[in-house]
Amino acid sequence: MSLKNFVAPFYVWKRAFEKPLTNTKPLETRPGAAAYRGFHVNDIEKCIGCGSCEEICQNMSIDLVPVDGIETKDGDSGLRPRIDYGRCCWCALCIDICPTGSLNMTNEYTWLEEGDGDVDDKFIFTPGVDKKNWNNLELGYKRPVDYEILEYSKIKMTIMETAERSDSFIEMVKGYSKEEAEREADRCVACGICVATCPANMDIPEYIKAIREDDLNEAVRLLYKTNPFSNSCGRICTHRCEDACVLEHRGESISIRWLKRYIMDNVSSEEIKSSLADEFTKNGKKIAIIGAGPGGLSAAYYLAKLGYSVTVFEAKEKAGGMLRYGIPEYRLPYDELDKDINYILSLGVKIEYNIRIGKDKDFDDLYKHFDSIFFSIGLSKPYSMRVEGETLPGVISGLKFLDDVTMGIDPKIGKSVAVVGGGNVAMDAARTSKRFGADVTVVYRRRLEDMPADLEEIVEAQEENVEFVVKAIPTKIVENKGKLYFSWNNAKMVEQKDGGRPKPVAIEGDITTRTFDTIISAIGQAGDFSFLPKEIEEKLKFKWGKVITDKSRQTADSKIFAGGDVVNATADAISAIEDGHKAAIGIDRALRKI
Amino acid sequence: MKTILNSVKNIEQIFGVLAKKIQRPDLIFITVEKKQVLSVLSHLRDIEEYTHLVMITAIDYLEQGKFQILYLLHNYKNNTDLGVKTFISREDAHMYSAHHLWGQVATYQRELHEMFGIDFPGSPRVNENFALEGWEGIPPMRRDFDTLRYSQETYNFRKGRATNDPKKYMKKNLHKE
Amino acid sequence: MFDLDRKKYPKIDDGKANFELYSHKYLKLWHGPQHPGVTGNMALELTVSGDEIIDLKTHVGYLHRGFEKLMERRRFIQCFPIVCRICVPEPDTNEYLFSAAIEELAGIEIPEKAIWIRTLNLEMTRLASYLMWVGGQAGALGLGAVGQWAIAHRDYVLDLFEEMTGARVYHMYMVPGGVRGDFPQGFVHRLEAVLQKCEKLIKDAKIVMLNNSVLQDRLVGLGIITPEMIDKFGIVGPNARGSGAKRDVRKDNPYLKYNELDFEIVTETDGDGFARLKVRFREMSQSISLIRQIVSKMPKTGKFHVKTPNPLHWKIPVGETYLKAESTRGEYGFYVATDGSGFPRKVTVRGPSYTHAVSLLEYLGVGVNIADIAGLMGSLHTYPPEIER
Repeated sequence: MSLKNFVAPFYVWKRAFEKPLTNTKPLETRPGAAAYRGFHVNDIEKCIGCGSCEEICQNMSIDLVPVDGIETKDGDSGLRPRIDYGRCCWCALCIDICPTGSLNMTNEYTWLEEGDGDVDDKFIFTPGVDKKNWNNLELGYKRPVDYEILEYSKIKMTIMETAERSDSFIEMVKGYSKEEAEREADRCVACGICVATCPANMDIPEYIKAIREDDLNEAVRLLYKTNPFSNSCGRICTHRCEDACVLEHRGESISIRWLKRYIMDNVSSEEIKSSLADEFTKNGKKIAIIGAGPGGLSAAYYLAKLGYSVTVFEAKEKAGGMLRYGIPEYRLPYDELDKDINYILSLGVKIEYNIRIGKDKDFDDLYKHFDSIFFSIGLSKPYSMRVEGETLPGVISGLKFLDDVTMGIDPKIGKSVAVVGGGNVAMDAARTSKRFGADVTVVYRRRLEDMPADLEEIVEAQEENVEFVVKAIPTKIVENKGKLYFSWNNAKMVEQKDGGRPKPVAIEGDITTRTFDTIISAIGQAGDFSFLPKEIEEKLKFKWGKVITDKSRQTADSKIFAGGDVVNATADAISAIEDGHKAAIGIDRALRKI
Repeated sequence: MKTILNSVKNIEQIFGVLAKKIQRPDLIFITVEKKQVLSVLSHLRDIEEYTHLVMITAIDYLEQGKFQILYLLHNYKNNTDLGVKTFISREDAHMYSAHHLWGQVATYQRELHEMFGIDFPGSPRVNENFALEGWEGIPPMRRDFDTLRYSQETYNFRKGRATNDPKKYMKKNLHKE
Repeated sequence: MFDLDRKKYPKIDDGKANFELYSHKYLKLWHGPQHPGVTGNMALELTVSGDEIIDLKTHVGYLHRGFEKLMERRRFIQCFPIVCRICVPEPDTNEYLFSAAIEELAGIEIPEKAIWIRTLNLEMTRLASYLMWVGGQAGALGLGAVGQWAIAHRDYVLDLFEEMTGARVYHMYMVPGGVRGDFPQGFVHRLEAVLQKCEKLIKDAKIVMLNNSVLQDRLVGLGIITPEMIDKFGIVGPNARGSGAKRDVRKDNPYLKYNELDFEIVTETDGDGFARLKVRFREMSQSISLIRQIVSKMPKTGKFHVKTPNPLHWKIPVGETYLKAESTRGEYGFYVATDGSGFPRKVTVRGPSYTHAVSLLEYLGVGVNIADIAGLMGSLHTYPPEIER
């Protein structure tokens, strides 16, 4: 043992004179680091209650609970996360995944509760709802920039080049490949917020899951539960579900529509048959359906599955309604529509073509011979523009124009075409005219952002060099030497006092006149109820030109059900399909008296 | 210097290898027959210089009715890892004891016996508890032991916990039926 | 060191004592699980004769939380908040190994910057873990003050972790795909300030511990590990290096950026507690040097995370792998097997304490004076949670 080793340790006595390493008493409060993972805060206005936080929490410490003052509505479940701090481990996965970015953490880390009662439920709280002293702290863990665990960009869909598609009726959207579809399906957080927004309440998260698991037969079964027109809807649906998608808040929504199309593109008609394996026994009851559009045929499908004998009366020579006669082929090829229809027909549904009820056959006849009647006749009476010169030759309606194109009749449009209106029919008419080689101008009363047409239709029309004239109120059309002189009054938007949408008001004297060969009017259409006998038309109730029905789509006459564009306000295919489905259930209940 | 591939080749020639997976240049897994395991381990340790036993572990392949036992060895001369795997029946789960080869083997075998219910006859103290004193019920690392059910049966959840599924909740509230 | 007449003690054969417990000559003692001389929650069942330990059994299970089992029902991303809990003083090694194993099985490459940050993180955690060990080792041998300084300095390192990762102890920072954030402005300066504090501490602690005749008396010759025992018991890390084995995963199988850093494997030859003490002190200085190298070589900008598939549905193809890293206690390994589902089929953690605290300690403890058993445990640097994951 050396003396050095005995003495040396005393050297560090000097530390006794240094500043202590510990904090002094009373305790100084030490704030957590800037990115400290402390207590949660939630911006409940931003939060939509998707439950991704609950899903990823590995401690099961998050519950979704209803909160006073937050309503359940489209795109918001009305639930908010409540956290059990007895289980939370502050890993912040909930913050990383939060698709809206509403959930964050502060750098506060002390929480004392006083009292000697039961503390069991003290440390459960709903961030952002319960008053906490850390609610307004700035610092704390936020998902770092450049760090995302979800994919917020869509997998790009291959679309035909503008130059190539402007004069072609070949389907322009190519559809996803297997790899693309699986990657797109992988982005979904399966929260299910979209289901309530879909008019047909399709089980979107489940069929997306089936895509991920590459089980397309199961996917088809899920689709047909609520929608026998999935192949068509996969192409032309107004996809309001995508607006409700939780990923939309900080990025791009899931391409739900294209995923549906992917499923249907990749199963053959035989596979549809074998995976659905629809079996039923006839119950001897007969149902008449007027109109072989998506509403009528989907009612036919679900009724046939329930064992009813269904006869559909169609005024035109082919089935499909607006899907065939309203939507141009480059968006929905007829073969694809036929795939949907053929499956429905394979269940024994009969369609009598070229029978217009009220003209070729009496409504009373059906009323007498069938147990129940469902009509879904669509809107076929174009609104009038109420301007001078509207009846001139060369002024045609959008519906008639699209009809003619479908039936292969030369629509006889000139070199320059004006399309009046801003809805989907207007866009389809404009883009179809474009494909006939015309220069097309869309004339619309309001602003571009007010157009009721789908955004992508507007964008694609612009890509195809369709000219848009907005804030233009048509005033008159004059014909001179085969040319149509179309005048409109330029307008300005005036905010409405009651908060309604801004209204276009004509600017006095500011009139533009341009010449066109053809003017297509597509400003909307109404239902044509002339087929109904007088006493029935009086019995049914109408409002704003639409038939009033109850939840099961039953009209004031208990034997008559109605659906589709003549009933619902949204007037799109998916709503009609839903009406058909609900009416089928309603008819079944009414006839079985349950 | 011997390479890992040489060693694997030797094992293949002498004892036979049922399957081989080259995971990385310095990590290979081989599967051998149950009865060959001890000979392979001794050979690797004494001849091929795999002198360091990294660990022994098991996987329960419930759906195939098998346990996989993995002996992971390391060679400090060429710094490679060699995993020796074998499959044993789940019904009659026992394996030859290798406690004489390395000092820590007995501990691993004791743990595997406790956690998986794999018996190693002859291994010292193999029937003693390792981490689970007083444990009753099936060995907990077996796949058919459900941890969630166990904790629900054994512990109480905090009062007032209840959650809602957004999809179902919205269906209930938005009445699109 | 006990050159006493051994005739009155039972004969010890290959580390095992041969005795008759009911002869009333022996006493059974429980050392732990709640004992200041035991690192973590484990218990030693001692049989003593006089004050000499003649039989030792390690009892674990006080910390068993079944992490390996719990991971089998958690998605891959949900596991990383769990793995760090397997080792309290050195959680990052677990985080790194788990993430790296998942990345290897899923075929993900992480960005350069993330690799550097991970290296820095691992070296910082080694420093923190060694500081904690100084506390344990010094405390076990009666040098309470040194222990307190060391633990206080560990807290300075934890302050850095708090700033960098958002948490002090369980950092949950390395995720499959990289790390969860870049570190803030001015971090490097604060890091350097802490390193200087630590250097000063190491200097003082070395004087007190290495040049201390009391400590030398107690540690020299305690728990001798001979070179033959290394492979027999699977001894790794400083425990092996104290016996002259030139083995260090960072050099042998370089991972992350260790092959771009300049360092030598630290070895001592005596194989006793004091040699291991010297190894660890030198490795602390080595860690400080490595941290400085990493900071100077690290890219200043770049991505720190690469996107992985949606964590809610992430499935990894069938495979298995074993990854290891050098923790302060030696080779730390993760064996991960996947079966193509969204959950790991099996995760096995190879903690170095598994051999050190059970089979090795049971062997080395026999013949040790009861007052030194805490010092022996300290010199083996054992952490119980990695035994019973």
